[in-house]
Amino acid sequence: MAGWRDELRSMATGFRWGRRPLVPRSAEPFVEEVDDEGFPTDWARTKVGTAARRAILNGAMLPLVRHELSLRVYGTELLEDLEGPVIFFSNHSSHLDATLIMCTLPDRWQRTTAVGAARDYFFDVWWRQAFVALVYGGFAIDRARGGAGAIEKARQLVRDGWSLVLFPEGTRSIDGHLQRFRHGAARLAIDLGVQLVPIAIIGAYQAMPKGRPWPRPGRPPVTVRYGRAIGPLEGEGHQALSRRMRQAVEELFDEDRTSWFEALQRSARGQTPSLAGPQGAAWRRTWEGTRPVPRRSRPRAWG
Amino acid sequence: MPRPGFVLEVDERTPPLLVHEGEGFRLERFPLGTRVIYPPDPLPGVPDLDAEIRRALLHPLGDAKPLPELLFPGMRLTIAIDDISIPLPPMRLPDVRQRILEHVIELAARRGVEDVELIVATALHRRMTPREIRRMVGERVFRSFWPDRLANFDAEDPGALADLGTTDHGEEVEISRRAAESDLVVYVNVNLVAMDGGHKSVAVGLASYRSLRHHHNVHTMLNSRSYMDPREGRSAINDSAVRMGRHLAACGVKVFQIETTLNSETFPSNLGFLNRREWEWSAADQALMVAAKKANDLAPPRIRREFFRRIEAPYKVTGINGGEVEAVHARTLENLHRQQLVEVEGQTDIAVFGVPYLGPYNVNSILNPILVHCLGLGYLFNMYRNRPIVREGGVAILFHPVPWEFHQVHHPSYIDFFEEVLAETTDPATIEQKFEERYATDPWYIHLYRTSYAYHGVHPFYMWYWGAHGRDHVKDVIFVGGQPSSVARLGYRRADSLRDALEMASDTVGSSPSITYFHAPPIMIADVR
Repeated sequence: MAGWRDELRSMATGFRWGRRPLVPRSAEPFVEEVDDEGFPTDWARTKVGTAARRAILNGAMLPLVRHELSLRVYGTELLEDLEGPVIFFSNHSSHLDATLIMCTLPDRWQRTTAVGAARDYFFDVWWRQAFVALVYGGFAIDRARGGAGAIEKARQLVRDGWSLVLFPEGTRSIDGHLQRFRHGAARLAIDLGVQLVPIAIIGAYQAMPKGRPWPRPGRPPVTVRYGRAIGPLEGEGHQALSRRMRQAVEELFDEDRTSWFEALQRSARGQTPSLAGPQGAAWRRTWEGTRPVPRRSRPRAWG
Repeated sequence: MPRPGFVLEVDERTPPLLVHEGEGFRLERFPLGTRVIYPPDPLPGVPDLDAEIRRALLHPLGDAKPLPELLFPGMRLTIAIDDISIPLPPMRLPDVRQRILEHVIELAARRGVEDVELIVATALHRRMTPREIRRMVGERVFRSFWPDRLANFDAEDPGALADLGTTDHGEEVEISRRAAESDLVVYVNVNLVAMDGGHKSVAVGLASYRSLRHHHNVHTMLNSRSYMDPREGRSAINDSAVRMGRHLAACGVKVFQIETTLNSETFPSNLGFLNRREWEWSAADQALMVAAKKANDLAPPRIRREFFRRIEAPYKVTGINGGEVEAVHARTLENLHRQQLVEVEGQTDIAVFGVPYLGPYNVNSILNPILVHCLGLGYLFNMYRNRPIVREGGVAILFHPVPWEFHQVHHPSYIDFFEEVLAETTDPATIEQKFEERYATDPWYIHLYRTSYAYHGVHPFYMWYWGAHGRDHVKDVIFVGGQPSSVARLGYRRADSLRDALEMASDTVGSSPSITYFHAPPIMIADVR
């Protein structure tokens, strides 16, 4: 008869305690759809939860981010006159993205913003669920069902005055380029009549791409650039709104690369550079995506 | 929509899998590439059971008239009921048989029927105790009919049997005189597996040894491939029961058959992990599994047995049909297959079975070594259609401790069979020829069968024959964790672990065999293509 320790060890290994549970490949077609909301997250958006989140974000996460990255933030003044709730959206190429947004939001917004996170990735094991809920005020989005499960939760949060952070691409880019925008965020904005705030996160892919658990050494440069809010126009459909959202992010990238005025001019001419990346072989996309972001500051004498 | 059953292929993501082993269970890591057959998810139960029962009685299948039209004052009405051997585990109260009986008796009372008798169709099984019968039929029925008009069938009471001649195959048909001479027999059945029900209900459940020996014999068992495939020509035992049932009808025995099917919710919520697929176990399920296993391992045998004895299945009824026997049974099988059938592609070199704590013949009793043989090689092995899961000349690996342990009251002839008969030979044909008659007619066993709660003297022989096809089909049988002395007496081999068993099996099937684990219970039927 195996002892306690052996059995627990066997269970821990076999059932991947503390790690994401995996479904055997041949059982994947038979996975049951779960209708429930899953791990409860409302506790993280209470007063106590919010206070704890702000303490973690400002007391630990932001210093850590500044320690590991050369961070620049632009455009937060555009949020000053804005009435909430709003939906923040950005390009998504790194696990740093949500952290960067939550750490750089002005206090007023940080208190009342929750991040939509993939259920299959962030809501699998209890400790990750608790972490996402506490640090990001996170709520689960079921990607397998097109985010349909999260719509009601998002509505409820917006009705309660919470702003949301959503990544319309649905998943991190594997090559650093902007992917197709899904329409969930646009639909939600049209349904709820809220404004959308574009954010460009530049350099996060180079700093910590998919598959990397920690930023590259050397404080790689990362810029978070907030743009002017856009809202659904009269009679505008979700596809058209999604296109404008994508355009807004591309303009922010252009603005970061050149200047606000030049970017505006190019936008007026319809010449904003696309972020879709080069067509052709996959390696070319990755090659371009990993091109180092130039540092803004003068290089230090000793590197 | 419940998910269908499916065949898993073990990969590096697969957690350890649950294996039943008598009054316990273990987690076992199977080699990569092992196929694991999982049963379908439980079907939903009927929304209104009483309405379904009324529908079955008032709108019968086949050429039967609605039950109320068959009832009239002055008639003799006999209601026969399946005994404690099904369902397994016993279902949570109220038992579906109670619900049906109450409807039938209510109708009989309204139609002015006075002469009503209820018979528990035990055949050669042990008598049910009053408490067991009360649990099954409910307080109201029990108080109204026990003991004068509600009783166990007695297959050794010459005065209570009627000889109805022979079938065109020369099979003697001898059943309960009360049933044979009634104006109507209503049979209330629970169809847990495909071999239950149909003509087997009356022609076997209410029959004597004289009649049963025509199909409960080695030749018939070896030609039943399988028992769970009652299509004509597939199962000799079923064909024989059908011939007898048709003969009964020709003799004027009128049967209104009521058959029920259950879903596969076998274990209660406090053991819910036993119903779920391992990779879907929550943290609570895993904790419960560890705690339950540890508590079970540490508990004294008596406590352990009591724990398992108290398990009641939260089965839900998926269908009830009444009317003419064959029409009803065809519908029953459709329902049953909807719940139990799993398509499996091809046979395997090694089949692995976890033998659970309970079979049809040890409810409130002990699963002795002969019953382990029957449950493993008789029932689990035969849970197939078309072809056995394991190829001919393959190996069966079974998990069970096979303790040398018998219930002194329920299984007295089993003890002698094990000590005397198996000590001499394990060959079913030799056993049948040399010993069966003596045990079947032994006055002491007959006395115990009629007055105590003992299985009939011939019953251990039937259990041995039950596994004859499986035993004949495979070349090697290995019990993992089995007690050496009792496994040796059964004529099998034993191993300490699955790894050892596979090593031993390599002598027969080579060093890289295909392996299939039949992940039951819950009950299922592998449709092997």
